Amino acid sequence: MKLFQRSEFYLVVLIALICIFITSQNPNFLTLQNLYGVLRSASVNGIFAVGVLFVLILGGTPDVSFPAIAQVTQYVAVLALIAIGGGNIALAFAIAIVLGAVMGALNGIIIQIFRVTTIVVTIATFNLYFGMLYVLSRGDVLFEVPRPFHDFGGTLLFAREGANGAVYGLSLLPVLWLAVMIVGWFILRRTMLGRSIFAMGGDEVSAVRIGVNTFAVRLFVFSFVGALAGIAGIAHASLVLSAIPNSIVGVELEVIAAVVLGGASLFGGKGTVTGTMLGVLLFAILRNGLVLLNISSYWYDVTIGIAIILGMSANAWQQLRARRNQVNVAVEGEAP
Amino acid sequence: MKPGHKPFLQRLSADAPLLFILIAMVVLMALLLPGRFLASYNLVNLANQLPVLALLSIGMMVSMLSGGINLAIVAAANFTGIVTALTMDWLTGGAAATAGLPVILLSMAVGLAACMVIALLTGFLIAWLEIPPILATLGVMMLLDGLSIVMTRGYTLSGFPPFVVEIGNGSLFWAIPNAFVILVLVILALHFVLNRSPFGFKLYMLGANPRAAEYSNIDTRMVLMKQYALSFLLAALTGFIMMGQFNSVKANYAESYVLVTVLACFLGGINPFGGDGRLSGIVLAAVILQTISSGVNLLGVDPFFVTAMWGAIILIVIAVSHLTGRHSIQAMIRALGLGRDKAAARPETKE
Repeated sequence: MKLFQRSEFYLVVLIALICIFITSQNPNFLTLQNLYGVLRSASVNGIFAVGVLFVLILGGTPDVSFPAIAQVTQYVAVLALIAIGGGNIALAFAIAIVLGAVMGALNGIIIQIFRVTTIVVTIATFNLYFGMLYVLSRGDVLFEVPRPFHDFGGTLLFAREGANGAVYGLSLLPVLWLAVMIVGWFILRRTMLGRSIFAMGGDEVSAVRIGVNTFAVRLFVFSFVGALAGIAGIAHASLVLSAIPNSIVGVELEVIAAVVLGGASLFGGKGTVTGTMLGVLLFAILRNGLVLLNISSYWYDVTIGIAIILGMSANAWQQLRARRNQVNVAVEGEAP
Repeated sequence: MKPGHKPFLQRLSADAPLLFILIAMVVLMALLLPGRFLASYNLVNLANQLPVLALLSIGMMVSMLSGGINLAIVAAANFTGIVTALTMDWLTGGAAATAGLPVILLSMAVGLAACMVIALLTGFLIAWLEIPPILATLGVMMLLDGLSIVMTRGYTLSGFPPFVVEIGNGSLFWAIPNAFVILVLVILALHFVLNRSPFGFKLYMLGANPRAAEYSNIDTRMVLMKQYALSFLLAALTGFIMMGQFNSVKANYAESYVLVTVLACFLGGINPFGGDGRLSGIVLAAVILQTISSGVNLLGVDPFFVTAMWGAIILIVIAVSHLTGRHSIQAMIRALGLGRDKAAARPETKE
């Protein structure tokens, strides 16, 4: 595919333009310290986004239950570590991944058995998980997260001292995000499973006829989304150092928008990890830019809304033109 | 065959499961709340609360008839209310509560016009740029929420003239709330627009098969534009009723209703891929949801338990309708030759 026909290309151009604009207004943007911060704050949404990408490629409508899964797994993992008085971060991840995978698998099973649109099922499980978390936890906020979360969130790579004496460096969260993206890319591009996911997204009936086990693939995708939501939940707890029952929910539409801006099709069968990463970065840079430009946070939603509309318009416009060109080629080809 | 021109028996049987659920819910609530649920004041209360949910659900349904969705519907209602309130405030120099009728009507016209500009923008994004509706309306929703917050600086604007409050809370005819009268009038109007007008016919056709609609010389873009205009018009109307009922406007009022309206459409048998869905279904679904929500409210249940219950109810409805419900009833109707169903002529859709 030609470079300028890919939505990634437009995203890179858009991000570059935004970066140039922000830097021209506030040179602090292009410092290592700030960029590390942008990556750190983008990590949680970035991990969610890889899961959303898988669901979108599988086809149908997007999953919206992942923030509720992250919320539940985060709360349970923090409670568990408090109960045993410490433990280590690997245990927290293990609990969150297993619990998240089970909760996600329930989505997949319901969708497969009852043949209902993903968004309807996941709205239901979102409400179920989130409501039950609040009822069972009575809305109690866990401000004292155990030591391992502080250690994991506070570890810095390439640490150095900034101009004002503060130590800054690359947090482990973007590293975790990168690892998740590599795993996602490997599954999608280098395994039979990945090909099956694309095949089901392209046309489920054809996928069945070439021998794809749709139940197994669907079960995997939704368990994977749940497991990633668990990982994101732990990452979030290490970032904000608390477990508040409603601190993650509400990001679902923004994450979905980022993935779709990154070129994933809402009709299934299309999407890349790179594009997804760019979509997440775009929103993180916009948010950071508003802070650096001293613009009131009231404007954040307006900016995101305009970014989605403009990004989608550019993408749609380019697709329409490509389609028109294709039609011309076909007509020329048929000429005697 | 024109939608809405189906044989009476088939129309009735299509709504039978919903009627059954409604009766079951009313009986259940009446048993759980003896003497309170069926008390006249509670019924008036129900009639007063129903219009907001029902109008938003109908607006959502209109957008779904072509296989779209309107996530911006609640944001548009709040936006309309806020623009109206700010215009009134500006015209009266800060004393909105004393505004006269001409000023009120002018402000409402400005609010409606603002909402229609947004509707045109949304329609343009979907019809001309062919952006998937879920994404276009998501962008518009965030834009509207943002504009609403910027305009109000996150505050609640309150204190409106009696006329505005009357729209949401008053009752001109005996004890029947005005909002309920408005809802009935809208349902009647929508019945003609959807089931009796050329636009309605084209809309259902576009939803059932976009390509066939295009080859039948239907201006599909114009239909899409009108469709989103209608959806946003219903949102604006809801915005006026909400202004009156709360006597205030705020950026994020009733935000959770977006998902509840999607649920109402699902319960009401609206096909999210378009082309299929009856007004009677969505109205019944809205009444059922309002009955449940008012009932559990009277029971004094933990609101978060209610959230969990919504989820459980959707899952139960999914399971029941799969095992016994709609599908088999429609299959039975087809077998008996009582009428031709759209779904029969269409190949199985994905999911």
